[in-house]
Amino acid sequence: MQRRRLGIVGIIAGLTVLVALAVTLSAGAGTAKKQAGYKIFFLPKTTTIPVFTQNGIGAKLAAKALGDSVTYNGPTTVSGAAQVPFINTAIQQHFNAIVISTPDPAAVAPALKRAAAKGIKVISYDGDTLPSSRTIFVAPTSNALIGASQVEAIGKQIGYSGQIAILSATPTSPNQNTWIKFMKATLKLPKYKNMKLVTTVYGNDDPTDSAKATAGLIQAYPDLKGIISPTTVGIQAAAQELQQENKCSTIKLTGLGLPNDMRKYVKAGCAGAFALWNESDLGYLATYVAHEVLAGKLTGKIGQSFNAGKLGKKTVVVSDGNKPVVVLGPPLVFTPQNIDKYHF
Amino acid sequence: MSRLGHILLRLLARWETVLIVAIVGVGIWATKSSPYFLTRSNLLDLVTPYVFIGLMAFGLTFVVIAAEIDISVISTLAVSIVCFARIFESGVNVWLAGLAGLGIATALGLGNGLLVGLLNLPSLAITLGTLAAYGGLAFVVLGGSEASSFPTNYTEIGGGYLWNGQLPVALLVLLGFALVLGLLLHATRFGRYVFTIGSNREAARFSGIPVARVRVTVFALSGFMAGVAGVIYVGNFGSARADAGATSLLDVVTAVVLGGVDIFGGAGSMFGVLLALILVAELRNGMQLVNVAGQTQDIVIGVLLLGAILAGNLIRAAQTNRALAGRLYRRRKEVVGHDQVDSSVPKGLET
Repeated sequence: MQRRRLGIVGIIAGLTVLVALAVTLSAGAGTAKKQAGYKIFFLPKTTTIPVFTQNGIGAKLAAKALGDSVTYNGPTTVSGAAQVPFINTAIQQHFNAIVISTPDPAAVAPALKRAAAKGIKVISYDGDTLPSSRTIFVAPTSNALIGASQVEAIGKQIGYSGQIAILSATPTSPNQNTWIKFMKATLKLPKYKNMKLVTTVYGNDDPTDSAKATAGLIQAYPDLKGIISPTTVGIQAAAQELQQENKCSTIKLTGLGLPNDMRKYVKAGCAGAFALWNESDLGYLATYVAHEVLAGKLTGKIGQSFNAGKLGKKTVVVSDGNKPVVVLGPPLVFTPQNIDKYHF
Repeated sequence: MSRLGHILLRLLARWETVLIVAIVGVGIWATKSSPYFLTRSNLLDLVTPYVFIGLMAFGLTFVVIAAEIDISVISTLAVSIVCFARIFESGVNVWLAGLAGLGIATALGLGNGLLVGLLNLPSLAITLGTLAAYGGLAFVVLGGSEASSFPTNYTEIGGGYLWNGQLPVALLVLLGFALVLGLLLHATRFGRYVFTIGSNREAARFSGIPVARVRVTVFALSGFMAGVAGVIYVGNFGSARADAGATSLLDVVTAVVLGGVDIFGGAGSMFGVLLALILVAELRNGMQLVNVAGQTQDIVIGVLLLGAILAGNLIRAAQTNRALAGRLYRRRKEVVGHDQVDSSVPKGLET
């Protein structure tokens, strides 16, 4: 008898856990608001990095202005394969458009094509997918401008002379690799002939890995003058590591970072200048593009222009060899003088 | 209670039953929460993006039942698909290139097996090493680039659909392998050897089981399944990269553990692992359909895993008729004898 009773106890325990789970979930899951406008699914690379939260905030602002609704969700790991289930469920929910930034252009392409076959419009932004699987790509700025401005920002701090290194995210990240390519091209200009790029290391967009990679650079290159980290996670970890090792006066830092993340390091003199675009505006613009495509006003023809709300008139162009592209604008450079004007 | 009642009770107390109840329960919740859940296309497609994870989990199941672990499967997958891509891009027929990828994956698994099985080195340490080494090798082969120009007649195996474009081919592949590997595990002498070695390796040796050969084979099988997962991955996602699958190790292990495979070896079933994969896929699908944030989804899956381990322990305690407290604290497997093997035998038959 004891055996039977224990068996039942086991099952009841298992089921209780599951029921509790289901109840918690039901309580947490809100029903989607019914709205008259378009239903747009906004899918970032991951929901765990603050820039994407900013994209989402901008997207919701645009949706509010346009009378559309935006649903923002995505995986917690940076992986194209992990985005696919989200694309599939967006298809099932009959969203009108998917706005996506992906770390893996090809891996999401078949799923996006299935979405397109169901009449869903696909807009990519920040991290592009294959051109054949989206209507328009919304670029934050141009790659050439980023590459040039990063090299100039570090050159200015180190007197255009000495060893520099790059702290990147992952070796397969397409936009990281493109920017690095343009940095290398910029370094060939006569103005930068006394600057030498000694190595590129990878911090996997992980604070601990990035800090370790920075510490490794400090160890391996005693004459290192500057670090460029074109990733928001990397530059913050690098600034923290430089501060901890008391290297802020000898090793200068620039890169792409968020003002809120970098404020204290800029004020402590651990990052003289860094750049980014307004992430909220990027999400705002991508949502406007999605709306205009759904309304039939944009088809991806070069030269088409539209009114992007508070951002003014934008035009569909060819940029960095990609087309059709809508560009947000040149990078925004943050310095100790202007950083307090920005809060994201 | 009657004999029939007793058999029913035994059947009810199986872990697979709990998983089925959970799948139905989550299904009811998802149907109530979202009008999009209970549609044919959604139900048929919800497992597809996780098929490659399931195939790796099937291979890992043999390893874990044999009381070992193979955490290098995701790197094995990466090496196999980047080699496949390279060979294909050099002009070789796509099917031959795919076969070569499978062969390479099996060889990498065999490498793990030889180190663990012949040299008797700890599998956690060995596969931790090969996780890094194979991962690095994948980058050496393809660098940071991406290969995506595979012909559609090939990508159909992982990404194609039959029956009005609603039945994913990958799902059929998953079910096919579950059946074949389930038979291999539960209905062959090899499968019995795996269970016996996992319960008590010394006893298995004394009873004349070729322990080293079986242990090498389970690792080679795990490598082979990582290769099959690679074939499906390339089909499903149409791309091969050195970091493919790099974030999926936890999902693979989750499917195995939630599937009721004893992490100390000697117990588990292929059907349980298949059900666990379906449960996780269904739960994530349901949560995504009502737009539960990714972070919350991870917490739910984590809690589910904890609950599974706790409930699994309680059920085993019930089955082996021991005091609960004694079984919640698991003793070393060397001391545990017959009672772990018995969960591999159909429950109704032994009374």
